[in-house]
Amino acid sequence: MNVASNVLDMTTGAARGAPVVDIRGAVKRFADLTVLDHCSLTAQEGEILTLLGPSGCGKTTLLRCIAGFLTPDAGEILIDGQDTIPIPVNRRSVGVVFQSYALFPHLTVARNVAYGLRMRGMAASEIDKRVATALATVSLTGFEARYPSQLSGGQQQRVAIARVLVLEPRVLLLDEPFNALDAKLRGTMQMELRQLIKRLGITAIFVTHDQEEALTMSDRIAVMRAGKIEQLGTPEEIFDRPRSAYVADFVGASNFWDGFANGGRVVLPDGQTVTTSLSGEVRVMIRPHNLALRPAAGQSSSWTGLIRFRRHVGALMEYEIELDAEHSLRAVALRDGSVSSLASGDTVSLSLRDPAACIVFPRS
Amino acid sequence: MMASYRRAELLDRLGIGVIVALAVIALALLLLPAVIVVVMSFDTRGYISFPPQGFTLDWYYKVFNQPVLVNAMLTSIKVGIYVTLLCIAFGVPTALACVRGDFRGATALSVFVLIPHMVPGIVLGVAVLFTGALFGIGPSIWLQSITLATYVMAVMVRTVMARLQRLDPLLEQASANLGATRWQTFRTVTLPLLLPAILAGAVFTFIEGFDNLSVTIFTHGYRDRPLPIELLAIVQNTNSPLVAAVSSVQILLAMLALGIISLTIGLDRVNE
Repeated sequence: MNVASNVLDMTTGAARGAPVVDIRGAVKRFADLTVLDHCSLTAQEGEILTLLGPSGCGKTTLLRCIAGFLTPDAGEILIDGQDTIPIPVNRRSVGVVFQSYALFPHLTVARNVAYGLRMRGMAASEIDKRVATALATVSLTGFEARYPSQLSGGQQQRVAIARVLVLEPRVLLLDEPFNALDAKLRGTMQMELRQLIKRLGITAIFVTHDQEEALTMSDRIAVMRAGKIEQLGTPEEIFDRPRSAYVADFVGASNFWDGFANGGRVVLPDGQTVTTSLSGEVRVMIRPHNLALRPAAGQSSSWTGLIRFRRHVGALMEYEIELDAEHSLRAVALRDGSVSSLASGDTVSLSLRDPAACIVFPRS
Repeated sequence: MMASYRRAELLDRLGIGVIVALAVIALALLLLPAVIVVVMSFDTRGYISFPPQGFTLDWYYKVFNQPVLVNAMLTSIKVGIYVTLLCIAFGVPTALACVRGDFRGATALSVFVLIPHMVPGIVLGVAVLFTGALFGIGPSIWLQSITLATYVMAVMVRTVMARLQRLDPLLEQASANLGATRWQTFRTVTLPLLLPAILAGAVFTFIEGFDNLSVTIFTHGYRDRPLPIELLAIVQNTNSPLVAAVSSVQILLAMLALGIISLTIGLDRVNE
């Protein structure tokens, strides 16, 4: 339902590629605590942008500033080039899907979805038509007369989405919308929601602390740290080329191996080298799937460890390998013949599958 | 091992038995006087005595054929309604200010409204009577209603505050996000969700307005004599089951109020 208006914007409005949401140096302080620290970010037409970070990094505060529930102490938030700071919450074309959904408990599903249209004084016949369309969009036709308490968590979430989408907002904001759902449902809802947003062509900003969710849902991810954007990029860029050890650690499981760079090279214990522009003390990120394991019995190896425990993760097997009393590494392998014989207590030799996939960070 | 387990189980049952017995005693103490009053109101004799002899509706007939009593009842119903309306008009905004307000003294305000309720009714009544006289305001149905409203305001404020505190503030934010103005949000989200608490408060304030004696004695108008004052006069002068009949009518009214609540919003939601 949003496609029409977005196409219109593209033909008549700003040039293609102009940001829908443009955050410029937003600052927000609570007493002595700076939650947003000159944060700048843009969301492009029709993209799903994720704010990813641990709790307290400022991602929800930024979302609340865009929605207008909070006013930044400094900086600007533009939507379609227009400064939103003077615009009251109820006049912003920004739809929020809350973590707890915040459905009105005293209203039926149909009345919940109709709420925004009724507040705008739309004719009843027109409201009925749009509510029916919105409920069909989220596959909830037939649930009109139910109350929120009579719905499952997944259905409640879909009502919350329909309630916002029916207003055709310029920007959709989602605040950890999958938190209240159980793990199995979460996966399907993530895919469904991404497909729905893409089908409608709506610009969405999505907040989560779950890196897997971010990788699944996003066109681009903004990893946040202490009120700033640490790195902005596609899921592939964030995962494969993290800019800092913080990002590497937060997105995807990571091993860190402390070494020494000399002449643009770091030599790892298995004899392979990783190139770097750094020198001196460095920290090398090794993804668990980049470590190859072989039984160490019989052959001499320069990099060995003891399997402390192993764990089935679906088709994968995850190993925790103890190098010495203080250091251990995590390795992941497909459960095929070559490694499935490895068991807890075995000594294994380690090697890198692809040295080029390692990232070198300065050691701070 | 087995024996000690059996003993523990026996003690458990004994404990439950004691609790049930206490509950039955408490219930009897609460209900028995009301039941006795209703039973005595049908007595054929001209004086109050238990057990009653015979059955008659004469006393009820007399209650509704004495203009003094009917007027007193109507006056008390009026006072009950005035008190309730005043408590809603001032108590609900006060509760909103105490819970949602972001100003210095919000906590002080919520304590302040409790003060009239903590002062003994007699003291409040005398104080208002003297203060009124100072400004040339004599006792009247209005003075009585306003004084009683300040007296029971705390009940309305506290009931609505308790509900507000458990109301998800995100609901109001969601409403604003969907385009509602503050007033629209209040009318379509906050108020409907507060309604059970307001109704529960209204029942209490109405009953207080209807049958309060301590404040009423000093503030009621001499032409609009409310029911508690008339009843006191009858009890002081006679010993007829007329009083029992009036009391039974009051019990019926209270039960009617509870019945209406349970049919409309449900008794369980009153305590929400």
